[in-house]
Amino acid sequence: MEFLKLNIQLFAHKKGQSSTSNGRDSIGRRLGAKAADGEYITAGSIIYRQRGTKIFPGTNVKRGNDDTLYATVDGIVKFERKGRDKKQVSVYPVED
Amino acid sequence: MIKVKVEKEKGYFKKISILGHAMYADYGKDIVCSAVSSIVTTTINGILSIDKNTITYLASSKGLTIKVLSNDRVTQLLLNNMLRLLKELELKYKENIEIK
Repeated sequence: MEFLKLNIQLFAHKKGQSSTSNGRDSIGRRLGAKAADGEYITAGSIIYRQRGTKIFPGTNVKRGNDDTLYATVDGIVKFERKGRDKKQVSVYPVED
Repeated sequence: MIKVKVEKEKGYFKKISILGHAMYADYGKDIVCSAVSSIVTTTINGILSIDKNTITYLASSKGLTIKVLSNDRVTQLLLNNMLRLLKELELKYKENIEIK
């Protein structure tokens, strides 16, 4: 019978390489502003991609069914406050 | 929890199983496991140093089992000493080692 090799963690629990069922994520949706404040845009241009109404539609701006905000006229983009704690974005045509 | 099971015949040790994990701390920091491992290894190697034919042991990931082949006085005394030390450990670390 051979001598027993000293392993002072013989009775310790070795955490097995447990597998995890996590590790998946969806591709980034590139949300956020697509036009900057003071920028000139044409009608139909997308201003802001969002989920829900982080920013509300203001003057000459409409909300698509995926909550995207887009301009309904050519003009300058203006991000504004809406009430106490909300924001909205408007597009103001340029006077010639 | 480490479970120590002792089997005797006519008052002589026949088989001692030391199975399970102390679960006192993570691997590498488990002092209870370290104490048990040291006590058991010292006893086994001590007995084998004196006479290689008085015990056999089987070590696995589950633990360790000692089979006692001889009732000679020294082997029985060394095993008894091992048990006494394990019992002392049990007093202090009840959640981590249990002797039956």
